Amino acid sequence: MMMISKPTTMVVCLKGAATGQQQNRNMATLKQISMRLKSVTNIQKITQSMKMVSAAKYARAERELRQARPYGEGVRAFFEKSGATEAVETGDDNKLIVAITSDRGLCGAVHTNVAKTIRNELSNESVESPQSKVFCVGDKSRALLQRLYAQNIAVVANEVGRKPPTFLDASKVANELVQLNFNSGKIVFNRFKTVVSYQTEEVPLLSAKTMLAAPKLQLYDSIDQGVMESYQEFTVAALLYYTMKESACSEQSSRMTAMDNASKNAAEMIGKLTLTFNRTRQAVITRELIEIISGAAALE
Amino acid sequence: MSYWRAAGLNYVNYSNIAAKVVRRVLKPELQANAAKRDETHVKFTPWVKGKPSNEKA
Repeated sequence: MMMISKPTTMVVCLKGAATGQQQNRNMATLKQISMRLKSVTNIQKITQSMKMVSAAKYARAERELRQARPYGEGVRAFFEKSGATEAVETGDDNKLIVAITSDRGLCGAVHTNVAKTIRNELSNESVESPQSKVFCVGDKSRALLQRLYAQNIAVVANEVGRKPPTFLDASKVANELVQLNFNSGKIVFNRFKTVVSYQTEEVPLLSAKTMLAAPKLQLYDSIDQGVMESYQEFTVAALLYYTMKESACSEQSSRMTAMDNASKNAAEMIGKLTLTFNRTRQAVITRELIEIISGAAALE
Repeated sequence: MSYWRAAGLNYVNYSNIAAKVVRRVLKPELQANAAKRDETHVKFTPWVKGKPSNEKA
């Protein structure tokens, strides 16, 4: 009995509160609506200018990406032609995953996609004995991964994304990476496709040993241990540079779209709020007129 | 073994130093633009056992 009667009284209470609020909202909140209207207009202004800024940054990032692509494509072509692939894992517990993101948010799902890919990868492993290490480039990937996989994080690099990445940035990251002594690794990043689309991809990071053991290495001339060592060091930096550029470009384009959508939504809200504002204003005027007229009529 | 590797550098360090020298000898009008490629801001924090450790800033 109690169980049934309780909810009904609750509903009655809620209903009473709701109608009271409804009346309140219709009548006495002209000022509140205008304040709300003002704040939404401000938000729209902000999102619009953020869109403009990221459009300019995107144009630059795309131009720079076109110059940076050969670095990545060259290395990838070498991996493909020589048939160098990741070493077959035989109790190999020193894998490294590099997450390429940035410090900045408000750009759609770019960072989440990278984190999601890594999370899927890590979910196959046990939490207590971390097998793979994660190198987070950018605060966003750290923020997204630290709750569940803090044990796996090896190094976090931040101050990424305020300015376009340079090769020096990439080589600093590469130096940190090399110090971790990984056996095999990969970089997870967002490859820029068009202004409205990007794709989360991964490229392998190979050690000099696996590169020397590649089956079709004979295609290439005059390679010895020293050359391969240098080239391996260079591939790490070059791949990082390439992926950082790709992901910077995807991020800006994604931010542009996100801010465009936000401005559109704000415009929609402004339309609705103006309508309610005018309606309320008219209702208030009508009410006041009725009060005056009926007051005058009562005096006669 | 090359002389720079004997000095404890790896290829990336070596080529970055070379690039820096090249940037320094550019003509003034090109130097301003090249200087932008000469800066890095990335900072690193090593993590130990799921916590950031601030042994190096």
